[in-house]
Amino acid sequence: MSLMFTCDDKATLVAYLYDEIDAPDRKRVDEHLRQCAACAAEVRALSDVRSELTQWAAPDAELGFTIIQRAADHPPAGTVLRPPQWRHSVPVWAQAVAAMLVLAVSAAIANVQVKSGPDGFVVSTGWMAPAAVPATAPAAVATADQQWKPALIALEQQLRDEIRATRETGTVRAASRSSDTDDAAVRRVAQLLEASEARQNRELALRVTQLARDMDIQRRADLLRVEQAIGHTGVEMAKQRQTLNYVIRASTTPQQ
Amino acid sequence: MVATDEELVARSMAGDAESFNQLVLRWERPIYALAYRVIGRDEDARDVAQETFLRAFRALPGFKGQAKFSSWLYRIALNLCRDWIRKKKRTPIVDMPEDVDFIEMAADHGPVESIEDLVARNEMSRVVAEGMKRLPDEQRTAIVLKEYHGLTFQEIADLQGCPLSTVKTRLYQGLSVLRKHLESQGITSFASGRTS
Repeated sequence: MSLMFTCDDKATLVAYLYDEIDAPDRKRVDEHLRQCAACAAEVRALSDVRSELTQWAAPDAELGFTIIQRAADHPPAGTVLRPPQWRHSVPVWAQAVAAMLVLAVSAAIANVQVKSGPDGFVVSTGWMAPAAVPATAPAAVATADQQWKPALIALEQQLRDEIRATRETGTVRAASRSSDTDDAAVRRVAQLLEASEARQNRELALRVTQLARDMDIQRRADLLRVEQAIGHTGVEMAKQRQTLNYVIRASTTPQQ
Repeated sequence: MVATDEELVARSMAGDAESFNQLVLRWERPIYALAYRVIGRDEDARDVAQETFLRAFRALPGFKGQAKFSSWLYRIALNLCRDWIRKKKRTPIVDMPEDVDFIEMAADHGPVESIEDLVARNEMSRVVAEGMKRLPDEQRTAIVLKEYHGLTFQEIADLQGCPLSTVKTRLYQGLSVLRKHLESQGITSFASGRTS
C-alpha cells in the first residue's frame, strides 16, 4: 500500500471492513476516514449492509445424511446415503408396544403362562409339566445350586475312583455288586438331571417374570410421558390462543 | 475428547465409515447452508449437500491433506452448485416460504422475540434474499463464503480460483449492489450513512 490511502482504493477499504488488514494500513485508513466524510459514510453503510445480511438464515432443514457401505457382492457395490433410521422417528411408546408384541408371540410359542394370584406372580412354561413357581424364585434357585453342585462333584469323583480301581486291579468284580453300583450311579445321574432341568425351568420363569415387570415399568413411564406431552401441548395452545386474541385486538383497535 | 477433522479423515481413509459419518454430522449443515444460499432452493440444496458427501467419500483415498478437509468439502459443493446453475441454466431462485405462521414462530422463539420483531425479521430476510439473487454468481458466492462461513480472502481466492484482489473487488461490488437494493426497498438509513 502507498503511504496515503486514497478514496478509490476499494480493495483496502474492503480489507478494513472485514478486519483483514495489518496495523499500519489500518492506521492509514483510520486517518483518512477522519478527514473524508464520503468514505466514512460508505464504510458505515457497508457495515450496515453486513449486519442486515445476518437476517438471512438458511432453513432449519432436517438432514441426517449417513454413509453406508454395501457388501462387495451386493450389486451395485459402493456407497449410498440413507435417510435417518426408522427407529429414530418411532416414538418410545410404539417401540415398547412392538417389544411387548414380540414377547407375547414368543411366550405363545413357548406356551409360557404368567398369572398373578393370591400366591403372587406365578409363571409356568409348556416345555415341562405345568409347574407353579412362587415369586421367591431367586432364593430357591440359589438354594438348589448349593445342593446339586456338590452332589454332582461327588458323583464325578466316585465314577473316576471306580474306573481307576478297575484299571489298577484288572479284576472283574462280582456281577451283582457291579450291577448295584451301576444302578445307584444311574439313579444319581437321573436325579441330578432332574434337578438341573428344574433349575433351568425356574431360571427361565424368573427371567420372564423380570422381563414382564420391566415392560410394565416402561409402559407406565411412557404413559406418564404421553400425559405430560398432552398437558404441555394444551398449555402451548392456550398461549397461542392468547397471542392470537392479542393480535386481533391490536389490529381492530383504531390507530390514534 | 472430540476428534479433529484430520483424525477422523485418517480413520475414514483406513476404512472406518463411522468416522466419516462423524464428519458428515459435523459439516452437513454448513454445506447445506452454503448450497442453499448459492442456488436458493431448499430441495436442490439438500441434493447438492448429499452429493457433496457422497463424492467426498468416494474421493477420500485421493485426499492428500494439502487443504483443510472443510475447504475440500466447500470446493466440491461449489463445483456442484456451479454445475447446477450451468446445466439447468437457472438464475438462483430464493424460495422464501409465503405462508409463514408468525404466531407459531413466536411460540418457537419464546417470549424474547415479539411477533412484530418476527415479521420485521422475516421481511428483512426476504429483502436480503432478493438482493442476493440479483448478484452475479461469483459475487454472491464470495459474499456467502465471507459473511456466512467466515473464510479468509485467501481461502475464497483458492476456492474461486482467482487472485486475492479479485475477491476483494467482488466483495466490494456485491456489497455495493446490496446497499442500493436495500435503499430501494425503503431501508433509507444507508443513504445518510446512519445505522438502522
